[in-house]
Amino acid sequence: MADWDELAEALADYTISCNENERLRRMQRDWSRVLHFVCSDSGVLFSMEVDRGEILATPEGHVGTPDIVVTTHSETFCDMFWGDLNPVQKYLRGEITVKGSQEDVMRLDAISAVIWPDA
Amino acid sequence: MADDRGPTSAPPFTLRRSVTTATATATSAGLAFAAIDYLGVVSILAYAPGATAAVAILVGGLMVVLVAGIFAELNGLYPSAAGIRLYLGRAVGHRTALSVTFTYMTTVVLVIAADAFLIGAAIRHVLHEPAALAYLWIAVLLGLALAANLRGVRMAGWVQTLVTYTVLSGTAVLSVVAIFHRGHAFHEPFALFGNGAFSGVQAVAFALFLYAAFEWVTTTAEEARTPRVITRALFIAPLLIWVVATLFVLALTHLVPFAVLHHSAYPQLLMGKAALGTIGELWMLALTVLTALNTFNGGFLVASRFIYAAARENTLPRQFAKLNLNAVPWLAVCVLAGVSAIVAALVFATGQWLLLVAVGAAIEAAIYALGSVCLLVLRRRESRERPFRLIAGRPLASFGAVLFTVMFLATGLSDPKHPSHLSVVPLAVILVLGALSVGYVLLYVPKLQAAAAVRAAANRPKRRPPRPTATSGDGAPVTGA
Repeated sequence: MADWDELAEALADYTISCNENERLRRMQRDWSRVLHFVCSDSGVLFSMEVDRGEILATPEGHVGTPDIVVTTHSETFCDMFWGDLNPVQKYLRGEITVKGSQEDVMRLDAISAVIWPDA
Repeated sequence: MADDRGPTSAPPFTLRRSVTTATATATSAGLAFAAIDYLGVVSILAYAPGATAAVAILVGGLMVVLVAGIFAELNGLYPSAAGIRLYLGRAVGHRTALSVTFTYMTTVVLVIAADAFLIGAAIRHVLHEPAALAYLWIAVLLGLALAANLRGVRMAGWVQTLVTYTVLSGTAVLSVVAIFHRGHAFHEPFALFGNGAFSGVQAVAFALFLYAAFEWVTTTAEEARTPRVITRALFIAPLLIWVVATLFVLALTHLVPFAVLHHSAYPQLLMGKAALGTIGELWMLALTVLTALNTFNGGFLVASRFIYAAARENTLPRQFAKLNLNAVPWLAVCVLAGVSAIVAALVFATGQWLLLVAVGAAIEAAIYALGSVCLLVLRRRESRERPFRLIAGRPLASFGAVLFTVMFLATGLSDPKHPSHLSVVPLAVILVLGALSVGYVLLYVPKLQAAAAVRAAANRPKRRPPRPTATSGDGAPVTGA
């Protein structure tokens, strides 16, 4: 089970990888969303604020009204944000559950697909 | 600290944008009511003459209530866009699920191709152009759909809802006008088995096709405000389709002889013209073109996202997961448009549009049978609470498995062009598609996955730092979480 410190470290790396990727920023230029995350094993909650493709903040706890809510184990979140895990495989097996529009779910996965194409 | 808490289930959330019952119902009815449904009605008439077709549509509707119950329970268990793929994966294994889903996705291509053909033929007919120009219209329609999809153009939810309710109400209103156009009594109202018992079964099986794809609304489960939204949509949408299809078939048999309908790719235009002349014909043409918005928007979206997801999980070549700058899986969209154009050209060249109806109807019946099997298996394996639980679920699911297998055979062995004959062609087409899917999953997917694993190992070592191991006071290691 990963704690908040491990998640925060993974999120910091993920934020840099996303924000520094020019192609991803162009692709997500019209994508501004609030994402909520729920660790189903530890109960840790955190948020992500995305403005026109740029990740602005990843605070602990839930902030604002979400467009997407993602729920899975804390270890899965850590591996996902480090790019060591392909989220689609977990999603198609029901190990990651999502609330939100299909388009937003795809946009979220597109981030991983662009910054870590070999994951 | 939050990580001291025990395991929790996800608390309920209110999304900023979520799907309501009205939108979900429109999505469900819109997915089911495509231009090919007008031909579906002709296929029913081939086996159930005159107003008897309305009885077949009613019986088909009652069967669909069972399907709605089964999918409502499955959706409550796994509210995911992966839908049937996930239910099957949990019930009978991922390889089987993948094989079935690949076959199932071919129905999306068939419906896109059929709608392109039917709308092209309808436009050509109204504009009194030579037959050969129909294919030009088909190419234009598919080209427009391709361009819109590549640019990431999406119909807003409210537009989709408006389009669906306009098509349904427009068809219903013109049908009522047609029914009261002249004071004829309905022909042969209760002769469902007049052409023999199996003919009646085939009529009901084709009636089932009118509702086909209504269950795809489960793919929007993740957007629904509550699981009940999808459950309600699953029960309300078939009711709307039943009302509209019944009015349409009564109007059609009231005004247009079957001998004329039988060889026509645009029965709705014939009904419109018989009821209100050129105005009625243009009315039905406008509604037919509107159905394309739902088919092309929903069909391209569902199929291309499925292809993208399959490529991302390494069950299709990874080129299909390439995204353009509008975050659209461009290769998947292009291949879909290309294959649809080829299928539409084949239909155009052979005139076998009723074969598409038979193949689509049979595949849907097979999916309903498999859905019933999933419910049976998951009742045994999954004991957790469901937001919706089908009453007498086990006996009803067993009944459904048998019933929809019979419906699969009834449509798979049909020839709507020659209703007195049996034909193995639809069944053969499905078996070939199924064999290709199974062969691909068993032989090629393992190679793709092995190549992906090798590529990942070679190009990309794990990035996550190892968890630090703390030591206790006596020097013994203390493991992390």
